Amino acid sequence: MAGVSANLRVNVLFFGRIRELTGLSEESVDLTEGSTLADLFEIYQRRFPALAGFRSSLVASRNQEFAAWETPLSAGDDIAFLPPVSGG
Amino acid sequence: MPTSPENDWCELLRAPIDGNTAVRYVRADQDGAIVTFDGFVRNESHGRRTLYLEYEAYESMALAKMREICVQVHGQYAIQRVAILHRLGHLDLGETSVFIAVSAPHRAAAFDACRFAIDTLKRTVPIWKKEFFEDGAVWADGELPPAPPPPKAAS
Repeated sequence: MAGVSANLRVNVLFFGRIRELTGLSEESVDLTEGSTLADLFEIYQRRFPALAGFRSSLVASRNQEFAAWETPLSAGDDIAFLPPVSGG
Repeated sequence: MPTSPENDWCELLRAPIDGNTAVRYVRADQDGAIVTFDGFVRNESHGRRTLYLEYEAYESMALAKMREICVQVHGQYAIQRVAILHRLGHLDLGETSVFIAVSAPHRAAAFDACRFAIDTLKRTVPIWKKEFFEDGAVWADGELPPAPPPPKAAS
């Protein structure tokens, strides 16, 4: 795939409703340089149409911190798309 | 004297929670009060009879966020020690899902800190609850943690 650099490989984790919708719990993805959290979510939305419209009810995390969708990614990042939390 | 969160106890457990161990853990000679919060599985949700719950977590991040709560609590209240225990996996009705204990020299700080800890946990710790009923299962309505502002553009 043009523009894809093996240098920007991130690890993506899935939980709760998102884990069930995608059938994934964890995988590695290669991204183009400069990709953001929003770009990564877009890739999953294309792969899993059931995710369409979900973004506004999710919060992204990067390396175990909540992060804005505009955040650029770095090689080795741990990423997750987290549904509303319901612990307690 | 501000106290330190380094002796606090945060844990995710797959076995039943014994709140007494948390109470004993936070109790110190300098204290005069311990306030606890025991959250346990209710037998109904929105009028439907609950059979059981399943909890899952982003475990490493959940623990990090629980420890952040401890740091905040020590910064804001004159308390001694905090214990925050959360159960994961299958929980039957009446079983404790979360137990928080806060010790302090005086009761007001312990009450306030315990309330802050459970309220913040429910908003910021990545744990999810699935509710199982006779006719199906749903992920519980939760709270969306606030995301930080976008990073400043870098070249």
